[in-house]
Formats: sequence, structure tokens, C-alpha cells
Amino acid sequence: MSTPIVSVRELKVHFPIRSGIMGRVTDHVRAVDGVSFDLMPGRTVAIVGESGSGKSTTGYAVMGMQEPTEGQILIDGRDRARMSRSERMATMRRLQIVFQDPVSALNPRMSAADSIAEPLQIHGVGTARDRRIRVQKLLDLVGLPRSAGGKLPREFSGGQKQRIVIARALALDPQAVICDEAVSALDVSIQSQILNLFLDLQSELGLAYIFISHDLSVVRHIADDILVMRAGKVVEQGPTDDIFSTARHEYTRQLLAAVPRL
Amino acid sequence: MMPIPRETQAQTPVLSCTDLRIEIGGNPVVDGTSLSIAAGETLALVGESGCGKSMTALGLIRLLPDAAHLSGGQISLQGERIDQLSERQMNRLRGNRLAMIFQEPVASLDPLMPVGRQIAEALSRSDTLTSAEVRTRVLDMLTRVGIDRPEIRARQYPFQLSGGMCQRVMIAMAMIRQPILLIADEPTTALDVTIQKQILELMGDLRRETGSAVLLITHDMGVVSESANRVAVMYAGRIVETGSVAQVFARPRHPYTAMLLRTIPRLDGPRKQALPAIAGAVPDIRDWPGGCRFHPRCPLATDHCRAKAPPLASVGASHETACWHHDRIATELT
Repeated sequence: MSTPIVSVRELKVHFPIRSGIMGRVTDHVRAVDGVSFDLMPGRTVAIVGESGSGKSTTGYAVMGMQEPTEGQILIDGRDRARMSRSERMATMRRLQIVFQDPVSALNPRMSAADSIAEPLQIHGVGTARDRRIRVQKLLDLVGLPRSAGGKLPREFSGGQKQRIVIARALALDPQAVICDEAVSALDVSIQSQILNLFLDLQSELGLAYIFISHDLSVVRHIADDILVMRAGKVVEQGPTDDIFSTARHEYTRQLLAAVPRL
Repeated sequence: MMPIPRETQAQTPVLSCTDLRIEIGGNPVVDGTSLSIAAGETLALVGESGCGKSMTALGLIRLLPDAAHLSGGQISLQGERIDQLSERQMNRLRGNRLAMIFQEPVASLDPLMPVGRQIAEALSRSDTLTSAEVRTRVLDMLTRVGIDRPEIRARQYPFQLSGGMCQRVMIAMAMIRQPILLIADEPTTALDVTIQKQILELMGDLRRETGSAVLLITHDMGVVSESANRVAVMYAGRIVETGSVAQVFARPRHPYTAMLLRTIPRLDGPRKQALPAIAGAVPDIRDWPGGCRFHPRCPLATDHCRAKAPPLASVGASHETACWHHDRIATELT
């Protein structure tokens, strides 16, 4: 059996609430309160929930953007908390994240090619020429014309911008990509194009995804396993088919009942 | 139950517009839109961003941003032309007979005023009610929109309420004068699904109770199917298909509608398979294509489509489409 790319064990992220003139910690917001799951290579785990459920905070903790209060995050079986600086840098190359809003994720004054090449530069990968070739390949991969490289973000539509963001996330050949509401801001006709791209990339590159979303129809379409979160806790978790056919928890049923049907 | 007499069924629509045109900097963002809404009916105006649905709504009640202006068409409210009214007359209408709610409830409320007072303000504009009467009606309305402990909530500020609760306050504010027309622009887009369901049900209840007409603007086909009677699908500034929700969803007669309905992941559809996508993107206003504006993305397009824009034409009882090839859709696109 292979090792999970990401293994989350009893993760807790608590934020202190300070009050009074001394700013003493009087309580905690339990943003994430005991979440565990494994992400296997080439698979998709979705975290669904409403706003404030802790789904994004879980994603940030996996990325190392948020320090866990308790619990462990193992990357390829190694505890992130015990890693040296260089090991952390190496894990950063294996995990990437794509956010909801491609407009704020791109530097408006940087060409698409420069944006995509930036992670390669930061990690000192290849020569300038290697990087140029890699950018061309990435543009092909995400379905953008090679001429797109010289253009600025404002010359692209929302869907094309998200393709640039995805190309940048793939620049370092990650094993897993965390998609935080990555299709939520897109128009419906564009949303399906990007979902198709995620599925294609998965079968082509063997990528694994942690797919964070509030949209149950999207999640059902793309995920192998699902965690349903509410107020920091996982109320239900299991294979997608089971969750959608025989949801056990009352809240999961409520969520499913609230989805408008076509 | 009493049968509804034919005369009332065919009575003057609450709101109608014909050939509405709105321009921004010389570019038509709404290009000859006609629609009408009857009392007690919800018409959904659906489309992707930039198709002109919000501009249509703002144009109808003459609240267009400075850069945009009405460049043609007629708008009638209960049979009376309102497109020529002065700003003052329009203001009176908007206070009395028209109401509007927007996507961002928190941004639409005054952050510095308790919500109860904001609702009272909507009421006291022209009525001659005592302050005790105003108070009772505000508290009643808050209860109607499902807010617990209205006496306490009325004294609170928007930041003390959740997004869903702020949207209830907006609805209370809009409905307290019993407007004949409510325009709701993406009223649930910023809300969680469970709250969305409650808000849509609430809007439906209030519509049935007061007989208001509702113009619902949304990008969400699911919301359309669950809460509208009729639907008008917009693409690049034009209505491409309109009809009853049942007809349009069961048998779309425009390629854009048909493809849009197929491309959305469904709770009962296949999993992890490529969705039938619509190629390309919604074109920018500045380079809307000639002929049928959907032709660059349409698999049925012919030279005729590239040359000549199809008019909106009837394809059944109150079902219209603007497509030269509407008879090919059932066999080739669904």
C-alpha cells in the first residue's frame, strides 16, 4: 500500500478571542476541531461545508499557511512540525494551492508567462531557456495558446485567468493541488471547462486534489471521498457515492435537500 | 375554488418593456430587450456575467450607473409609461410601488443605523402613521420574514446580524410597503445553500400573499427551476429564449439554453466524466459578434447565423426563441 501524500490527524486550529483592555485570551474560536483524513496519490478528497465551517482553514493548515493548534499533518508520511527548513521548502513544491478569485491571485503588471515562471525562479529551477520551454508546455497543458504568454492578466477572461493560475500551480510538478473554491467565481459555462481541465490533469499527471467547495453538485462530480464539515467538526465522511446515496447525518441531509434541482 | 375570469388573466402586466436599449460609452449592453411580468408571477432573467441582466433591471427602474443610459425602448408600469418620468416622479414610484433587493445585503444596509429604523424609514416616507403604528408594523414584518425576537433584532446594527439575517431585513424593507413589483438581483448568491433555500421560500410566500410581481435576476439555473414561473435567458445583451420554466427546461429551443443545462454538474448525473462544455467565453461588449451573437460558440451555426441575427419568434404557447435552427436542437443538442 502506498503512503498518503497528505495525512491529517486530529487537526485542531483554534483562534484566541481577546477581550478587555488587557487583551487577555478569554475564549477560542474552534475553527477546526478534530479533522482527520488521508489523501492518496491521484485521488480527490473534497471538503464541503457552509461559510465558517472550517473547510478553508483546514486547507491552509495542510499547505502550511496556518499553524495547527493540535494534531499532525504528515506529508509523505513525515510530520510537518518536525521538518527542517529545507524539507519544508521541498514539501512546498509538492503541494500547491488554487484560490477562488483569479483576479487577485495574479499580479496585474506581470505577463502570464512571468507569472507562470515565478515559482520556477523562486525555487531556482532550470536555466532561463528551460523555464521558457516549461512555460510553453504548461500553457499547452491548461489549454491556452502559446501567444498568451506575453499578455497581461487584464487581457484575459475570468476562465482564462484561472487557467493561468492553474498553470502556475503546476509549474513545480506538484503531487497535490488544493483547490479552494477554485470554480466558484466562474460563470457556469466556464466552470465546466475548468472542472474538465482538473479531471484531465488528474488522469494525465496523476494529480491528487483537496477540493474545498460549498457546491455539492460540483463536489459530487469531481471527488472520490467527501468530508462534510460544520462548525469546525467533520459531521460525516466517506466515499462520494455513499454520502450521496445514504447520508446518515441530519446536517448532510439538510445540505442535500437545500441544493436547488434542475 | 373560484375559476379566475379570463379578463383578469389577460389584464395589463405589472411591468412591461419593449425594445429596451441601454448603452455604455456608445456600446449597447442591452440591445432590444422586451419582457413583461404579470401580478403574482416570478420571471427569472438568467444569464452569465456581462450578458446585461443586471443592466436590464437597473434600466427598468431607471437606476442606471452614470456611465450607462437608456437609448431606446418603452417601459410601462401597470400600463403607464414610466420611461419619460422625471427623477422626482421616479423616486416616488420607487418608494411606493417598486422595491429592489441586491446581492450584498450587508452593503445595501446603512451600517450606522439600527435595522428596525431602516425598515421604518422605508415605511414612513409617505404614510401618515403614528410612531406606535410604525413600530408595530416593523416588528410584524420582521416576524414575517422569520426573524426571532424582533424587538431585540430591530435595535441591532447590520454588523450584529448574519448575512442571511441582513437579507431578511432587506426583504422586510422591500416588502413592508407591499410593492407591486419586486426586483431581486442575485438575492441569494452570497448566501449559504441552506439559507438560500429559506430566503427563496420566503420570497415565494410573500409573493403569493401580496400578489406582487417578482423579477428575479440570477445566474443559477437551479434557482430558476425552483422559484420562477417563467424564464428569460439572456446572452450578450439580448434575450435568446423565453417561456414557462417547465417548457424551457424540458425542451429548450435555443442552443445556448440547451448547452447551459447540459454543462451544469447534476446531483443525478454521471461522476468524474467530462462535462459537455460550451467552448469559448462570453464575448466582451466591445466585440460582440455580428449576426447571432452566440454563433462563435454554437455547434449548429451556419453562414446564415453569421450573417443575420434571428428574431425572437414563437415556437409554442408563450415559448419564444431567437434561433434559426431551433428545430434541430432536440435531436442534435439534448
